[in-house]
Amino acid sequence: MQFRLYIHIGLWCALFAVFFAFGIRIAGPALVENHIGPVEVNRSIDAYILALSGIEHGSEKLPDVFGRLPKAGPLIIVVRKDNSQSEFLGMMIGYISWPREIKLIKVATPTAEKELAGINPDSISGLVFCLMDPPAWLGKPIRLGSSIFLVPSPKTG
Amino acid sequence: MTLLGLSAAYLTIFIAGFGVTLLVFAKAGRLNLVECSCLSWLLGSGAVSLLIWLCGTFCSGLLLQMAVTIACLALGISGWRIKQKLGSKFALPLPTNVIEWLLTSLLLVEIILFFYVSFKHTLGWDGLLNWEIKARYAFLSGGVIPGSYYSDPGRAFSHPEYPLGIPFTELWLYLWMGEPHQFWVKTIFPLFYAAGALLLALFVTRLSTKRWPGLIVATLLAFVPFLSASPGGIIVGYVDFPMSVFYLAALGYLLCWYREDTVSNISIFAGCLALLPWIKSEGVILWVLLVFFGLCLSLPKHRTRQLTLALLPGLFVVVGWRLYLRLMHTFPPSDFAHPSFSLLHHNLGRLADIGLPIVLYPLSYVFSTWPSYTAHMTSSLPRLLLHVVPAGWLAIGLALTQPKGQVR
Repeated sequence: MQFRLYIHIGLWCALFAVFFAFGIRIAGPALVENHIGPVEVNRSIDAYILALSGIEHGSEKLPDVFGRLPKAGPLIIVVRKDNSQSEFLGMMIGYISWPREIKLIKVATPTAEKELAGINPDSISGLVFCLMDPPAWLGKPIRLGSSIFLVPSPKTG
Repeated sequence: MTLLGLSAAYLTIFIAGFGVTLLVFAKAGRLNLVECSCLSWLLGSGAVSLLIWLCGTFCSGLLLQMAVTIACLALGISGWRIKQKLGSKFALPLPTNVIEWLLTSLLLVEIILFFYVSFKHTLGWDGLLNWEIKARYAFLSGGVIPGSYYSDPGRAFSHPEYPLGIPFTELWLYLWMGEPHQFWVKTIFPLFYAAGALLLALFVTRLSTKRWPGLIVATLLAFVPFLSASPGGIIVGYVDFPMSVFYLAALGYLLCWYREDTVSNISIFAGCLALLPWIKSEGVILWVLLVFFGLCLSLPKHRTRQLTLALLPGLFVVVGWRLYLRLMHTFPPSDFAHPSFSLLHHNLGRLADIGLPIVLYPLSYVFSTWPSYTAHMTSSLPRLLLHVVPAGWLAIGLALTQPKGQVR
């Protein structure tokens, strides 16, 4: 009787000890990494845009730039397929450009010639390239930070 | 001003939840203050998000905020008056020995640490682009998500079809703060942890009639690596852990109802069950599991009528949300195709890779539309398992204390 009770207690203690030993090694570093803040409204968006493009306060600066584009037509956001950083940055651009209509295009090739060939420049407000260079035939792009290129529509004043 | 607004938002959520809890428990005589507080948060966030959604179909802006606030206060006052009328008294269960004091203190320290760690991290990918995005867009449009968002193919990446339980709780904070403050909004997730850990301790204590196993498992819950150190946990604003807390609460009250047939147990079960699909789409799977489990428990005790009634709120939520998405011409979800026998037949070969350790969730990957369904599994399956982690700890807590007859 007593023996089974000891086995019961011993087994659970051993299991908990193993779980605790593994858990603390993974969960522990979360306590010490990073620091609190900054206590800002756009804390998360700004942190990601800064990390991916080097732009500070990107949640305010980028919509300001996009605000100068024509209102009609979607903003085309071009990202590299299977490149999670490029895709994430493209989604962030889509996030902050609300309520502007957007279209996210994932391209497999670095030049994106084929995917962009069918786009009529007059029907869009601009093209944004995330972590990739725009094709030369589109003209000279505007560089935003280290990794975003904006090609405004010809209608832009 | 921001902190004042944040406090007002939390106060209204808790008043609404407290009111609902008191309405349910008023007859109990003795009200556990810890239990009431946990349920106030769970039911309050559910009630507020549902109220914003429903009232948002008729009004927006300040009128919407006022309407929801009045409804919250009405719930609180109704609950309090009924509690006073029936003469129920609050009780705070305090630890009774050194070990219980020690474990309780550890639990409280862990809850504080989760707040601390949450403040150190940003919202994660899904936390930002699937959930918070909805709260922000609704905030910018006076508390109502514009119809154009649901049908916008450009923003299909943010899953417009996902339910609004957490986004509209975040929205409530935004409306009161007057700005979409991404730092303070993260406070809701450690609150779900606090509610989950305390309810876990409470259920194990109630079902095993011993307090120490409940406190042990609640203390150990914090060391599950996915809660604090991996994408998908509490600190990055994903909804998976909040859903697991609703699942734990529904399961716990179902087990309590099996043991003791009270209206309060089945009512709280019904409430938490209804909120599962309102937190995340996958909640429907957990809803089905609990319905099946509930049927298994109710049949031998001839209580199927109460159980059937308890399913109705959840059915209203599921059907109501589906109808709403259809009315909004929502862009079809992109991660999974609509299940069909022909597609199942076509992708049957995937079953060998998916395996059968945990059947229901992996089965959904048969319908994955990702180019690499194994990548889809790798990125989301561990996080999805988080949904059943607190329930797993409940089972461990109950296994810790075998009934006397079994320990020979």
